[in-house]
Amino acid sequence: MTREQKEKLRKVLFYFVLAVIVIYLLFPFYWAIVSSLKSEAQLSMTPATLIPRDPETGEISFFTRNYRAIFANGGFVRGLINSTIVATSTTILALLTGSFAAFALGKLRFKGKAPALYVILAMTMFPQVTVLSGLYAVINALNLSARVSMIFTYLLFTLPFTTWVLTSFFRDLPNEIMQSAQVDGATPFQTFYMILLPLTAPALVTTGLLSFIQAWNEYLFALTFTSIDPSARTVPVAIQFFSGEFARQEPFGEIMAAAVMVTVPIVVLVLIFQKRIVAGLTAGAVKG
Amino acid sequence: MAISSSSNLAKEEQKLALKLLIPAFLILIIIALYPLGQVFYTSFTNREFASSTETEFVGLDNYKALLSVTVKELPPVIDEETGEQAVDEETGEAVFERPIRVLPRDPHLYRPSFEFSFFGNKYVVGARTPDFIRAVWNTLLFTFFSVFFETVLGLIVALVVNSEFKGRGAMRAVMLVPWAVITVVSARMWEWMFEPTRAGLFNMLGDRFGLIDGSFAFLSNNALQLPAIIAVDVWKTTPFMALLILAGLQMIPGELYEAAEVDGASKLRQFFNITLPLLKPSLAVALIFRTLDALRVFDVFQVMLSQKRYSMASFNYFQLISARQMGMASAIGVIIFIIIFAFAILYMKSLGVDTE
Repeated sequence: MTREQKEKLRKVLFYFVLAVIVIYLLFPFYWAIVSSLKSEAQLSMTPATLIPRDPETGEISFFTRNYRAIFANGGFVRGLINSTIVATSTTILALLTGSFAAFALGKLRFKGKAPALYVILAMTMFPQVTVLSGLYAVINALNLSARVSMIFTYLLFTLPFTTWVLTSFFRDLPNEIMQSAQVDGATPFQTFYMILLPLTAPALVTTGLLSFIQAWNEYLFALTFTSIDPSARTVPVAIQFFSGEFARQEPFGEIMAAAVMVTVPIVVLVLIFQKRIVAGLTAGAVKG
Repeated sequence: MAISSSSNLAKEEQKLALKLLIPAFLILIIIALYPLGQVFYTSFTNREFASSTETEFVGLDNYKALLSVTVKELPPVIDEETGEQAVDEETGEAVFERPIRVLPRDPHLYRPSFEFSFFGNKYVVGARTPDFIRAVWNTLLFTFFSVFFETVLGLIVALVVNSEFKGRGAMRAVMLVPWAVITVVSARMWEWMFEPTRAGLFNMLGDRFGLIDGSFAFLSNNALQLPAIIAVDVWKTTPFMALLILAGLQMIPGELYEAAEVDGASKLRQFFNITLPLLKPSLAVALIFRTLDALRVFDVFQVMLSQKRYSMASFNYFQLISARQMGMASAIGVIIFIIIFAFAILYMKSLGVDTE
C-alpha cells in the first residue's frame, strides 16, 4: 500500500468510527421521537418500522395525537409545573446561599477555612440515599408539604456543588479589585455584591443551569416525598406513573411524546450554553 | 495604630466570613447532618412508619438480619437404582438437594440468595434477607461493568473528538444530548426499545439480522436484566465520561507528540507512553465520581426492574415506602454509606488524588 492509500484508509476508518459514535449517541433519542409519532396500531406493528408507516398501505404517516393527549393529561401538565417550581426555587436558594459561602471561602481570610472547604467537597459526594429515611421522618414530623420538602432537600446536592464551583471562581478573581474597592471605603460585603457578584455572572449562569438540570432530573426524593401527595409529582415521577388516555396497556406512544417534550427544552438550553456547561461539568464533575 | 486597624480589619473579615457561611452550613446541618444522625440512631431500633407499635431499641438486630449469610454445600441426590448421582432426564444436569433442606431454620430462617458451583460441588448462599444480599451483589456488578464500559467508550469518544476534523463543534454538541436526557426518561426510552416483541427495536434488529428469534424478554429474563440496565447507563453516562477525559486530553502539551513524531514513535506507542500516563489524574477523578455515583444507582433499577431486581438504593426505597420498616431502611442507609465511604477512601488512597 502506498502512503497515500494508507492515509486515505485512515481517514475512511476515522469517519466510520465517528459515524458509529454519532448514531450510538443519537439513535435512542431518534427512536423516541419516531415512536412518539406513531399510533397504537403503528406501535404494535411487527417488525417495527424506522419511520412511522401506515399499517395497511405501508406509506409514511405521522400521528400527532400523542402530543395532544399528554397536554390534555392533567398529571403531565401538573408535573411540568411542579418541576419548574421546585427546580427554580431550589436553584435560586442554592445560588443565594452558595455565593455567600463561596465568597467567604474564595476571597476572605478566616480561621477554619480549610476544614470548611473539605466539608463542602465531601458533601458534593454525599450519597443522598443514605439519609432518605431520616429526611422522610423529619418531613413527616414537621408536616412539610411535598413541594417544600423537595425544594429544601434538593439543596443537599445543589448547594455543595454550587459552592464548590463558585469558590474556585471567586478565588480566581484578582485581589486588586477587592483592595481598590476597600481603599474607596467600601465594606467587604459591599465589594461582594456591588463588584464581585456582577463579575461572577457567567459562573452563576453555569452553576445555576447545572443545578436546575440536576433538580429537574431528581427522582429518588421526588418519588419518596410525593408518595402521599400525587398532586405534587414532578416530571420524572409523572412519566413513571404515566397512564394513557387511549391505550390499554402501557401507553408508550404518549410516554415517548412526554419524553420528547421534557427533553427538548433541556437539550436546547444545553446546546445554547454548551461551552459553559462543559466548563462547569469538568470543574464540578457532576452527573445529571 | 496601623497595626491595630489592620488587625481590626482581619477581625471584621473573620466575622463577615462566618456570617456568610452560616446559611449554607445551617442548611447542610438540617438536611444532611441531622438526618444522618437520625438514620444512625433509627438503625438500632425496630421503628415502623405510621404504626402504633412502640419503637424499641434492638441493638444490632437490623444489621444481623441484613448481613447474616451462610454458605452450605448441597449434597447430591443419589439415585437408588444406580447408586450414583441422579441426573435430570430433561436437561441432563446432575441433581442436587434443594437449598431449603440444607439451610438453617432456627433460630432464624435462612433463605437461598444464590447458588454456585465449585469443582463439581454445588453450594448455596443463604441469607436472612436474600433480597438485600442480591441487591448488594447487583449493585457491585452494575458498578463494575458500567464504569468499565463508560471509561473505555468515553476514552474512545474523547480521543476521536480531540482530533482535528470538520464538524468538531457539532460533534461536541451531539455528545451532550444523552447527558441532557432525564435518567427516568432514558430508562423509559430504553424500556420501549427492549420491548419483548418485534415491535421493540432490539428484537426487530436481532430478528432482521437473524441473531435472535424476535421475542427476547430483556427485562424479564434473569440473565439479561443486568446487561440491559448497564447498557442504558453506559449510553447515558459515556458522554459525561468523555467530557472529563477530553478536558484532560486538552491539557497534554502538543509538543510532546511532535517530539515523539520526530523520534519516530508509532501512534500506538505515543498513546501508551504519553497520553495514558498524562491522562491518569483526570481519569482518576472521573473514575471516582462515576463509581461513587454508580454505587447509589436508583433511577434505572426502579423504573425498569422495580421489584424484579433491586439495587441497594431501590431496596432501601421499598423497605421504607412499601414495607414501612424504618429501622430496617435506616440500617440499609448506613450500610450504603459505609460501602460508599470505603470506596471513596480506597480510591483516594490508591490513586493519590489531590483534592485541591
